[in-house]
Amino acid sequence: MSAPKDVQLLLALQDLEQMTREAQDATNREALEKMGFPVTGLDQLKEAHEKLEARIPRTLVSRYHRLSERLGRAVVPVVDGVCTGCFTNIPSIFTSAVNQDKVVYCETCGRILFWP
Amino acid sequence: MNTEDLLRHMNPALWVGNLRARSKDEVLKKLTEVLASTGKVKNQDVILEMLRNREALGSTAVGSGVAFPHGRSVAISELTILVARSPKGVDFDSIDGEPTRLFFLLLAPPQDSGNVYLQALGVITGLVQNDEVRQKLLAAKDFDAVVAALRETEKK
Repeated sequence: MSAPKDVQLLLALQDLEQMTREAQDATNREALEKMGFPVTGLDQLKEAHEKLEARIPRTLVSRYHRLSERLGRAVVPVVDGVCTGCFTNIPSIFTSAVNQDKVVYCETCGRILFWP
Repeated sequence: MNTEDLLRHMNPALWVGNLRARSKDEVLKKLTEVLASTGKVKNQDVILEMLRNREALGSTAVGSGVAFPHGRSVAISELTILVARSPKGVDFDSIDGEPTRLFFLLLAPPQDSGNVYLQALGVITGLVQNDEVRQKLLAAKDFDAVVAALRETEKK
């Protein structure tokens, strides 16, 4: 079962932010270019970031940014019933909330959760 | 990382011998659909978005009919490699302007110890630089033939 739509958008945003950081990292960029992959579209990534953010409810995206600043990764998978951000158990009742297309937060660290 | 390490991340379910797609976006959609159908990915739209963004950063079609769509996503839990072949070829914005027939999709989680993802990308791009291996991959009857072609190249 896939994550709620808004969480999927946040996951895409998080991936995009990581891609941008890696493209800006000189060592990483050099490695990619050596393999034959030109890294030329940073402006396009910036544009994609703006468009993606605009599709997410403002309150949710604000919370995402606050979590990112404070904790690094804001959206994390639940693996074997554990939040992979803070490694506390997530009660199984939360899975049913996901079924209802709700955004689920870790009660301990506050990160946004999804089930991969 | 060597070819055998790389092969551990490939399997017959992640081989598409007859990819039917007419555009770059269709290729990316079809590849993520295959991933979803094998259960490797539940949030296939997240992977698709990441791959589209990666192509916006710069085409992953390196010429000679080969492309390596790749990237990291929190929606994948382990290094995954999917190989696809389009007999007709697709315009994938290749640097030489030629249609792309072989696709090596590499996906990895955001963090991996030892940066295995970049190492894997380095190994596979190195192997496929060989013209002979590309011909064998284009002619491969099945996944075993793909594996054999990659193993043979390492020996040379």
